[in-house]
Amino acid sequence: MPAEEMGKLTNRMRLTLAVSSLVFLAVLAISPIKDWRREWKLYKRSYLRFAQSRPDTKRLIADYSPSIDQIWLPDMNVTDRCTTCHQGITQPTLRDASVPQPFEAHRSIPHNVRDWGCTPCHRGQGPATEVAEAHESTLAWEQPILSIHFIQASCGTCHLSDLPQTPQLTRGRQLLASLNCQGCHKLPGIEMPAMRGPELSSIGTKVTREWIYKWLKEPRTVLDKDGNVTVNGYETGEEPRMPKFRLTEDELLNLSAFLGGQKAQPPTLYTISPAVVARWSKNPELTSQGELRFRQMFCSTCHSLAVTRAGETKLIGGDIGPELTKVGSKVNPAWLVAWLRDPESYLPHTSMPRYGWSDEDLYKVTQYIETKLVDPDLLASVPKLDSPTEEQIQSGRRLFLEKGCASCHAIAGVNPQKDFGPDLSGLGRKNASELEFGTAKIPHNLVAYIQAKLEDPIAVNLAARMPQYNWNQADLDAVTTALLSMKGALPTSALQKLVVPRKEAVFRPTGAFAEVYERYKCYTCHKFNGYGGDLAPELTYEGSRAQHQWLVDFLKSPQTLRPTLILRMPQLNMSDNDAATLADYISMVLQNPAINPVKPDANEFSPAMAALGQQLYEVKYQCQSCHTIGGTGGYVGPNLNNAGRWLTAAWIEAWLKDPQALVPDTIEPRRNFTDQEIKALTAYLMTLQAGIAPQKSATASRVGTARGVSP
Amino acid sequence: MKPPVGTTAFLVISLIGACGCRQNAEPRKVDPLLAAYDSEPDWNDSQKVVPLNYEQAQGKRIFYQQCVWCHADATPAGPSNRSNLNPVPPLLNDGSILNGESYEYLQNIISLGGGAVGKSAMMPPYGRVLAEEEIRSVIAFTRAIAQPPYQPSSRPGSQYSTK
Repeated sequence: MPAEEMGKLTNRMRLTLAVSSLVFLAVLAISPIKDWRREWKLYKRSYLRFAQSRPDTKRLIADYSPSIDQIWLPDMNVTDRCTTCHQGITQPTLRDASVPQPFEAHRSIPHNVRDWGCTPCHRGQGPATEVAEAHESTLAWEQPILSIHFIQASCGTCHLSDLPQTPQLTRGRQLLASLNCQGCHKLPGIEMPAMRGPELSSIGTKVTREWIYKWLKEPRTVLDKDGNVTVNGYETGEEPRMPKFRLTEDELLNLSAFLGGQKAQPPTLYTISPAVVARWSKNPELTSQGELRFRQMFCSTCHSLAVTRAGETKLIGGDIGPELTKVGSKVNPAWLVAWLRDPESYLPHTSMPRYGWSDEDLYKVTQYIETKLVDPDLLASVPKLDSPTEEQIQSGRRLFLEKGCASCHAIAGVNPQKDFGPDLSGLGRKNASELEFGTAKIPHNLVAYIQAKLEDPIAVNLAARMPQYNWNQADLDAVTTALLSMKGALPTSALQKLVVPRKEAVFRPTGAFAEVYERYKCYTCHKFNGYGGDLAPELTYEGSRAQHQWLVDFLKSPQTLRPTLILRMPQLNMSDNDAATLADYISMVLQNPAINPVKPDANEFSPAMAALGQQLYEVKYQCQSCHTIGGTGGYVGPNLNNAGRWLTAAWIEAWLKDPQALVPDTIEPRRNFTDQEIKALTAYLMTLQAGIAPQKSATASRVGTARGVSP
Repeated sequence: MKPPVGTTAFLVISLIGACGCRQNAEPRKVDPLLAAYDSEPDWNDSQKVVPLNYEQAQGKRIFYQQCVWCHADATPAGPSNRSNLNPVPPLLNDGSILNGESYEYLQNIISLGGGAVGKSAMMPPYGRVLAEEEIRSVIAFTRAIAQPPYQPSSRPGSQYSTK
C-alpha cells in the first residue's frame, strides 16, 4: 500500500467497518436477549402475570423480587435457589391444589422453608437455576429430587425416634427390625433383639430332618389356591420372618443333616400323669375339649390359624408367635409338652409366657394340636432321607455359616461371620454411579436400585447371598423409605446437632415382681415406662387407675373390657400368689405422680351427686355413644358396667379433666367439664358395680392399708 | 484488505446457533400415585385409589385414630360403632351430605361437637384434643375421598379474601 494512501478510508474499508459494526451490535444485542430469556426469568415473569390474576395481587407483588432468590444456610451446607421459581412457596393464599406449579405454596409442615431450605428434605441440586438440572441428575450433580412418595425418608434422617406424621417410615423401620435385617447388615437406629431367629442349638429335638428340608426349601406352609393368604383383611404374601434361600438339592440335604442333629440342650421332658391319660384318652370329647381350652386361653392373641371360608384363606389371630395351622405335623409330641410347660428351658429369649398348666389341660391341648392342627401332606414332597453321613453334616455346618444362617440363628459352638452383609448405614445418600446395576433393566437411580434388590436380590447381582423376601407393594415402599433415610453421618456439625435420637426405654424391675413379670412375659404385649410391646394397654400408671382387688381378679381370670377386641389377654392360669405379687407391685409402684393415691372419703359422693352424674352421662354428654353400661351403648370405649370396682375415683377425676395427660394417644375426647360435673360423673361411675362378683381369695392382698392403697 | 465476510458469516451463524442451543426438557411423566404422599382406596370402588397430598395424608392418619370408629363401616379393630348410634353418623366419604357443608361448618362441628351446631350431642367436641391444623387436615381428607367428588365452589370467596 503506497504511503500517501495510508490513513485514507476507501469505500471498501468503510463497508467492512459498517458490516463488522452491525455484527458487533447484533452480538451485543443477542446477549441481553439470551439473558432475558433465561428459564428462571421466564418463571419470574409468568409469576408476575399469575399474581395479577389473584385477588391479593398487592401482597403477592410486594413480596416479589426480579432477581435470583437464594436460601443460604452455611451451617447446614444449603444453597437453595429453588424459591427463584417456586415463588409462592411461603404465601398462605397459594396453598391450594388449583394453583399451577411451580407457584403453589408448601403444605404447612413443622419446618419453615426459610429456616430449613429445600434440598435437606427434597434432595435435588440447590444451586441450579434450570428445571432439569435442579430436579434430575446430571453427570456433575447426581442427586435427583426425591419422589414425594418416599419423602418421609427425609424426616427419618434426623428424627431417629418415630414420628406420628410418618407412618410409612415407621412401618419400614419396624419391618427392618422384625425381619432381622440387622442380622446381616449394619442398620443404625434399628432395634436389635436379644434373639433374632430362634436359637437352633436343640432344633433336632423339636422337628425332624424332613421338616427342616421342607422348611428350607419353601418356608411357607399355609397358602390358598392363589398362593395368597389374607391377614387381618389385608392381602399379604403371608410373610414368614424366614426368607427363602436359593438352595440346591445337595445344600438342602447337607443343611438338614447338620440341623437335624442339633440336640445340645434338650428340654426337660415331662410325663403327663397316667391317670389323666387313662381318663381322657378314650373320651370322644378329648380334642373338642382341647380346642375349647386352646380358645379360652387366648392362644390366638399371639398365634394365628388359617381359616378357609368361601375359597378365601385368612389367618385369624396375632403375629407375635408363629402361625400354628399345621404345627401338629411339625413338632415332636414329647417336645410340645415340654415346651408348653416351660418354654424358657428350650429357648432362653422366647416371648412365650410360662402358663400354669394342669395335667388335664396340658393333655387336652396337646392332643388337640397333634390331631387337629395337622396336614398329612405337609412333607409329601420331601424325598426319603437316610441317616446323615458325617460328610453331609460337616458340609451342612459350613453352609450354615456361608449362607448367613448363623447371623440370625444361634447354635452353641458356631460363631457367626462378622458383618456378613454390606453396611447399609449410608445407603440413602449413595449416587447412582456408586451402585452396581449389573444387567438389570431398571432406571439408574437409587430408589429403583433398592426396590429391585429387595424384590429379587439376584436381579442386580447374580452372586448376591441375600435371600428372597416376599413383599407387597406397601411394605416394599415402606422398607425403601426406611433405607433411604439412612444417610450415614450427617455432613455438617450443625446438621448433626439436629438429630433427634431414638429413646431407649428401659424397665428393669427386681425382686419377686421381676420373677413373675419374666415368667408371664408381661412386656411382650404391655408397655411399662415406654418399654415393651404395644398390643395391650400401657401399664406405666396402672396402679393409679385400677383398684387392687380388681387387679387380682382380672389377673386370675381376665375379662375383656372392650367388647369388640379380637386379641385378648390370655388366660395364664396364674396362681393366687403370682396374681397377688403382680397386683401388689402394680398398686404400689406403677403410680402416676399427679394422682393422689389416697382413697377419697366415701361420703364425698352423695346419691344426689350420682343422680346428677347419670343425667350428665346420659343426656348432656351422651357418653353412651361410645361406652356400654348394662348392655346398651357403644363399642368404642371400654365397658363401664363395673367401673366402680375397676377404677379408682382419683383416676376417674384426673381422666375426666384431661385424658391425654394420662394416656397421650387415647381417643377419649378432652371435654370442658366443670369441677362440679367431674365430681358428679365420678360419683355416678363409682356406683356402677354390676360386674361379676369378685372371687374371694385368701391371698388377695398383702399390701398394708397404711400405704394408702385401696384393698 | 479483504472483507472478512467468511469470519462475519461464521460469527453470525454460530451466534444464531448458540441461541438455539437451549433444549426444553420433555415434561416428565409422573405416576400420580408415586407422586403422592400417601393414598387411600376409594371406599365405594375398591379398584380405585385416591392419591393424597401431605395435608390429606395427615387427615387420614387422624381419621383412622379418632373418627373411624363411628364414621366408617369397618374399623381397624373390626366392627364399627356406627350402626349402634341413632341418629346414624354419616360415612366420612358421603359427599351427598358433606360436600354441601362449608369448611367453617365442618370446623365447628369437629371442634365444638354436634351439640354446638344443633346436631346430635353424640358427636363429641375435639377442639381440645386436635389442633386447628389437624382439624384442617381432617377436612382436607374428607374432601379428598368424597363420593360424589367434592367440587370447590367455582369462585372461592372467603378463602382468598384480602381482609
